[in-house]
Amino acid sequence: MNESLLEIVCCPLDKHDLDLEVIQRTDEEIAEGRLVCTECGEEYPIEDGIPNLLPPDMRDG
Amino acid sequence: MDRVRSRRGVRETYDRIATHFARTRAYAWDDVTDFIEGIEGHLGLDVGCGNGRHAGPLAERTDRVLGVDVSREVLNEARRRAIEGDYTDSFSLLQADAADLPLGADSIDVALSIATIHHLPDRDTRIESLDELARVLAPGGRALLSVWSVTHDRFDRSEGFDTVIDWTLPDDETVPRYYHIYDPTEFGRDLAESALAVDRTYTSHGNCFGEVSVPG
Repeated sequence: MNESLLEIVCCPLDKHDLDLEVIQRTDEEIAEGRLVCTECGEEYPIEDGIPNLLPPDMRDG
Repeated sequence: MDRVRSRRGVRETYDRIATHFARTRAYAWDDVTDFIEGIEGHLGLDVGCGNGRHAGPLAERTDRVLGVDVSREVLNEARRRAIEGDYTDSFSLLQADAADLPLGADSIDVALSIATIHHLPDRDTRIESLDELARVLAPGGRALLSVWSVTHDRFDRSEGFDTVIDWTLPDDETVPRYYHIYDPTEFGRDLAESALAVDRTYTSHGNCFGEVSVPG
């Protein structure tokens, strides 16, 4: 995920801004990390460069 | 059918068939490329982007395209295609739900929702997806929508209906896919009920298409 995407994406639930927590980065690309809603605190994982912004009830198995 | 007919079920289906699905979706639809040729903008969006067959052409007309899909495996195929087509710099992938878009309001100049909302499990959710498109489209922004339609040769009904159609993998294993097959009147009615402004609807190759924007 390119860091500039932060200006465009938001929480799918309440549409508030997201904070980025980086676990692994190469230049401007975030390979592993988390997007955290500044309002509701929900955490959305970034895995292998792709953020998973599904609502939590659609995320798992 | 309950599991198949759910947003999570659609994700599971496409995760299972992604590689084979992508191989059978090599070319963009003419109706989509015709629409894209007439527009340009900063930010493009493809909701239900699949393997990215339309994201490439859209990337040529915009500075950046967001490819949204519910299936992670399908997004991996889209990324592979973008690397082969050399447009990764202008293509961003997001795993997300068509009825809960994780995008700010008024942010998108050009959007596609091609063969996507017919996989959503009920009318309310399909209209939510249309409303989400209206929310993210910028003033002056335009979108093209399509759904599978009873006008297709394989269907012998005149009114819209729910069905499950199997995808057959190369090893003959079948994977069920839920669809709501639309009739053209119903498609127009759902668009009218949403927050979108309808510029034009038509049928082509067994699909209903709608060119839409936001009320100005």
